[in-house]
Amino acid sequence: MRVLILTSEYPPKRLGNVSDHVSTLAHELVKRKHEVELVVLDDLRQEFEDVSGVHVHRVANPIKTHPMASVLTYAVTASVPVEAESSNIIYFYRQQQKSIDVVHAHEWPMIYPAISLKHAFYIPFVLTFHSIEGHRCHDSFSAVSIAIKEIEDMGMWESNEVIANSGWLKDELLRYYGGGHWGKMNVVWPVGKDWVDQVISIYQKVAR
Amino acid sequence: MRVLHLSWEFPPKVIGGIASHVFDLSRALVRRGIDVHVVTCNFPGAKEYENIDGVNVCRVESYAAGDSFLSWALRMQKNMERSSCDLINFIKGVDLIHAHDWLSGVAGIGLKHLYRKPLITTMHSTEYGRRIGIHTDLQASIHEIENWLCYESWRVITCSYYMRDHVARLLHVPENKICVIPNGVDVNKFNFGFDYWQVRNRFARGSEKILLFVGRLVPEKGLDTLIAALPEILGNGVDAKVVAVGDGPQLEEFRRMANEYGLANKVMFVGHVDDWTLRALYRVADVTVVPSKFEPFGIVALEAMAAHCPLVVSAVGGLNEIVDHEGTGMKVPINNPHALAGAILRIIRDSGFRNWIVNNAYQKCLWNYNWNNIAEWTAGVYGAVLHEYDMGSWKPT
Repeated sequence: MRVLILTSEYPPKRLGNVSDHVSTLAHELVKRKHEVELVVLDDLRQEFEDVSGVHVHRVANPIKTHPMASVLTYAVTASVPVEAESSNIIYFYRQQQKSIDVVHAHEWPMIYPAISLKHAFYIPFVLTFHSIEGHRCHDSFSAVSIAIKEIEDMGMWESNEVIANSGWLKDELLRYYGGGHWGKMNVVWPVGKDWVDQVISIYQKVAR
Repeated sequence: MRVLHLSWEFPPKVIGGIASHVFDLSRALVRRGIDVHVVTCNFPGAKEYENIDGVNVCRVESYAAGDSFLSWALRMQKNMERSSCDLINFIKGVDLIHAHDWLSGVAGIGLKHLYRKPLITTMHSTEYGRRIGIHTDLQASIHEIENWLCYESWRVITCSYYMRDHVARLLHVPENKICVIPNGVDVNKFNFGFDYWQVRNRFARGSEKILLFVGRLVPEKGLDTLIAALPEILGNGVDAKVVAVGDGPQLEEFRRMANEYGLANKVMFVGHVDDWTLRALYRVADVTVVPSKFEPFGIVALEAMAAHCPLVVSAVGGLNEIVDHEGTGMKVPINNPHALAGAILRIIRDSGFRNWIVNNAYQKCLWNYNWNNIAEWTAGVYGAVLHEYDMGSWKPT
């Protein structure tokens, strides 16, 4: 299986725990003989790197000034270079009559690029939620929070499978974004030996 | 050849000048045999898909919450991009993507990379020009997006040589990447029968010469210069009246100014008028005055020329290129009421001169600002870009 992972953090960039989670996932996938392409948003490093089999493509946001340091405009503008690099990877494999089987997006900033890739190339995508806006900004009705919730909602609709990191988070996702999504919800507790195998079985459900 | 046009406004959604530009340009391109698809924002009452004179219009969901106009515009463009993907796959691909301003350019950049097709951008204006400088983070962000958009575009089209220099200098675009193609005007829209006196009597007494001003009431449109020129015109024994069409934040200030000159009955603020009345006004006006201090193109000048109305403009921006002094109109320096009054008086007093510039201006409209010619020049840019694209190796595999 050939997986394209989209994430906003990958070591050495660390904003939270997602960075190490994605790193572990990518390396475990490679150990199990899967091919991993990884596009990460990183404004400080822009080199391609082969980290023991994981192909790490780092892209920067071309827009440096954001009003009120808005995480929203940052994420939306950053989605374009992520799409561009992903397209380059897809065309690179197409040249060899190969294709990307599944896109795995982590967290809301990667929802927009995953949607574009799905609509342009018909590549299914799996979406992992590590946390949700409703918990990060508790009871917030600010315009930015509402916009991020809309994007998360869109991700729930557009993704082929959703992974929550705990049963509680799954229940919260269904509570926020509607119980109708229950059929595509998966719980993978990222601890222990076999959680990566669970993720692979979810890939196999959606892969072309 | 199949071209995807991206525009955030398209009739019936009309906010600025881009809507009518894309409307006229896309129909003219279709008349040349180019397959044009326009993707734009949805609007209450407008159809999701429709075909207007051969142009395929697709309106996408444009609702999006956000904390600023910028975040709305960006999220709207992600919707636009997603729907464009569906459209492109449905029609089995496009040859070119043509974006209009940054308000659809971000979607254009995404589509360019997803489909590996060349992106052409028309820069109708710049954030720097609109705000006369970059003053806030929001404006800086838009400025950076414009810069990025020009960088990603295969060619940039501007509508005047003035804007070419502006874009080249401000957004760091190499000049050989910029093509100048003017805006157009449809002269047939100004050719209709109507009751001259019925329209004219709504705005002025029979003895009064109508000096028409059309524009938003903001400082850069320079209505104050025209009001300041009025005393000299009246002092020369010419009974004239300013009819100001348009609305804006400076309305009260201009009204107070007219009162202070004692000219309250010689300056008429009519606010917004419908398209038909505006065209009739051009036909009945004695002079159209465009005293702008900043003007990327100056579509008002074209409309006056198409309606056989003599023009006095300030020599700035695009106006400088549209009007030839004493050939197709009169040009005066900016902020100069004395020069403005002199030019207006000359046109009113010398009817032979008036007829000469009006006829020249109309002829210029028929050739330089004819949508069929503009479509031909635009198609020329498309052809050149596609040729370069075919020679290169950057293609979908």
